[in-house]
Amino acid sequence: MKDIRILFAGNPNVGKTTLFNSICGVHQHTGNYPGVTVEIKTGKRQINGHSIIVSDLPGTYSLSAFTPDEQVARDALLSSGPDVVIQIIDATNIERNLFLTTQLMEIGLPMVIALNMCDLADEQGMTIDADCLERNLKIPVVRIVARKGEGVEELIKTIIQVSTHKTPAVHRAVEYPHSVTSHISEIGNYLSAHASLLGSLSPHYAAIRLMEGDEHLEKMLHEKGCTIPFIDTTDPAERDGIAEDILLARYKISEEITTCSVQCSMGRVMPGDLIDQVLTHRLFGIPIFLSCMWFAFQLTFSASNPFIVGIEYIFGYFTELMNSVDMDPLIRSFLSDGVIGGVGSVLVFVPSIFVMFLLLSILEDTGYLARAAFVMDRLMHSVGLHGRSFIPFLIGFGCNVPAIMATRTLQSRADRIITIITIPFMSCAARLPVYVLFAGVFFGAAAGNVIFFLYVLGIVVAILSALIFRRLVFKDEPSPFIMELPPYRKPSGFAAAVHMWFKGREYLKRAGLVIFGGVIVVWALATLPAGVEYGSADSLVGIIGQVFQPVFAPLGFNWQLVVGLIFGFIAKEVVVGSLGTLYGGEEMLESSLAADPTLHPIIALAYMVFVLLYLPCVAALGVIRQEMGTWKWTGIAIGWGIFVAYVFAFIIVHVGSLFIGA
Amino acid sequence: MVPLSLTKSGEKVVVRSICGTGHLAKTLGQLGIIIGIELTIIQKAKESVIVRIGESRYALGAGAASMVLVEPRK
Repeated sequence: MKDIRILFAGNPNVGKTTLFNSICGVHQHTGNYPGVTVEIKTGKRQINGHSIIVSDLPGTYSLSAFTPDEQVARDALLSSGPDVVIQIIDATNIERNLFLTTQLMEIGLPMVIALNMCDLADEQGMTIDADCLERNLKIPVVRIVARKGEGVEELIKTIIQVSTHKTPAVHRAVEYPHSVTSHISEIGNYLSAHASLLGSLSPHYAAIRLMEGDEHLEKMLHEKGCTIPFIDTTDPAERDGIAEDILLARYKISEEITTCSVQCSMGRVMPGDLIDQVLTHRLFGIPIFLSCMWFAFQLTFSASNPFIVGIEYIFGYFTELMNSVDMDPLIRSFLSDGVIGGVGSVLVFVPSIFVMFLLLSILEDTGYLARAAFVMDRLMHSVGLHGRSFIPFLIGFGCNVPAIMATRTLQSRADRIITIITIPFMSCAARLPVYVLFAGVFFGAAAGNVIFFLYVLGIVVAILSALIFRRLVFKDEPSPFIMELPPYRKPSGFAAAVHMWFKGREYLKRAGLVIFGGVIVVWALATLPAGVEYGSADSLVGIIGQVFQPVFAPLGFNWQLVVGLIFGFIAKEVVVGSLGTLYGGEEMLESSLAADPTLHPIIALAYMVFVLLYLPCVAALGVIRQEMGTWKWTGIAIGWGIFVAYVFAFIIVHVGSLFIGA
Repeated sequence: MVPLSLTKSGEKVVVRSICGTGHLAKTLGQLGIIIGIELTIIQKAKESVIVRIGESRYALGAGAASMVLVEPRK
């Protein structure tokens, strides 16, 4: 049996990824806001001897593709030549979803429609005649509830059936007015003579795309030396008029089909209007958002505390156990300084990170994130950022990598570049261990406030950076803010827990590989050359630290701290991990830091600020390069971070020392 | 006719005109914000609005809201 290649297309936030997870038995990230999936994810499922290869595309409202994530979806649909296109439609909002259907069916590929969230439609008192929909569109329609896996097997059966059809797919045609059809045939005739340029597109379909204003296709044809009839001979205003006629024809057919296949009961309630009026209120919106954040912040620390105590107890037990057993000093040093000291220092923070992922996941599932973006839009706009950038910022508190990827939902390149430069100032979960350690040792009871200050400082620096880059470099306004607000959904505790587990597991894996690896390197460098006192200034790590230390001397960092910064580039947790190996292990780390005469609270604060701002980790750096597309902007992003970090740490050390008179 | 940015929360309006062309007008078009469509204003915060069209809710920043001209529904 041959492979069946299928694509999942659909509007944003209709459950494509949920269905993808359900079919392929994987766990890709989902959330209740538009733009969670920004790149193609591919999975596989074997069924009845068929091998189904599923590609999950980013959501898109149309094939016009204004943003990079929409371009990804468009290119896959138009040029990858799948066997079947599955459009996932939100059953509670059929009419709007059918607009995309009218575009997809013109491509001429075999299609199946998966009518998702049928349970919610039932709850809201809607009666959907799937047969009527099927007859009108000439596309098989299958009812599903992707979240519960209902109807998924039948969908797969239908997909297999459709993929074995020998005849080309014929769907319902959109009825365009004569003014449009005459131009379609004119352009179509011309393109038939140049069919080789169009790849898999039919001349008729390409003509429609050109009339709708497909800049990408137009540019491609112009580059090949084409002079397209109508398109190149008509003034833009008239072309816009024709494009609007096409748009209206699409809405007309969507409306007709919806009217005959969907019935709403009279008393249909529109939940959420009232909640929106409160949560996005002109005056209360921002305070409500800040209270949510503060509450989440407090919960992250208080809920994880008992687990942290537990983990510390276990490591304490192992240390004692090891001390009581007779072993080779080198192995003992490896176990106590390297493994327990380094990795242990990092693992202690795992509970906080789990709780943070849990809260972020709940927040993503409710639908509140999109509201928060609206509430913050005016503020964001006034500092030169796009309101939509706010969602990547929030995601950045978990991890900067997906946050930087999420900037693909922004239309303008300037908005994207500014957002990518500022995201690394959002303090990700990996930096938290550094704060908890230093604030705990040097600020005692005020530790919580110091950590909160660091998060706020990150946001302030992001705002200042945005202002500077917008005013000095791009000099234009952020593009207008338009965003769909998803319906509110009750977050499922189970789904959030599963999500937390997968995220947390990734973190643990990282702790196991990258962090462990980094820490082991530091341990080895601290042990070599043979015979040197462990972690002393004469060891390799000491030499490396001392070479770079003069650069940081104005900030008061000793060479151990500098080593932490250097290796922290691998992953920010390694900052704590390497300090753990250099300062005598998890047990001893806090007391040795406190006892180090070269350290005091001002330097500790400067160090935390430096770690917050200085450099994204290797993983984030890779994604910045990928999304920026040029080394120039990647370099600017990195250079800016280091510069800002140095300036802020310098100010803190020198202003701070005036107060304590040191 | 007034721009959406000058409407009041709770008003029901009909779109009469969309200023300008280019990406913004097209983006609005794909979302179903087209001439003749009925909107309900759910929220108004300074010049930004949240509107509902049928089952969908959209947030429009001040810039976008000022480009959609509407009149009260009769």
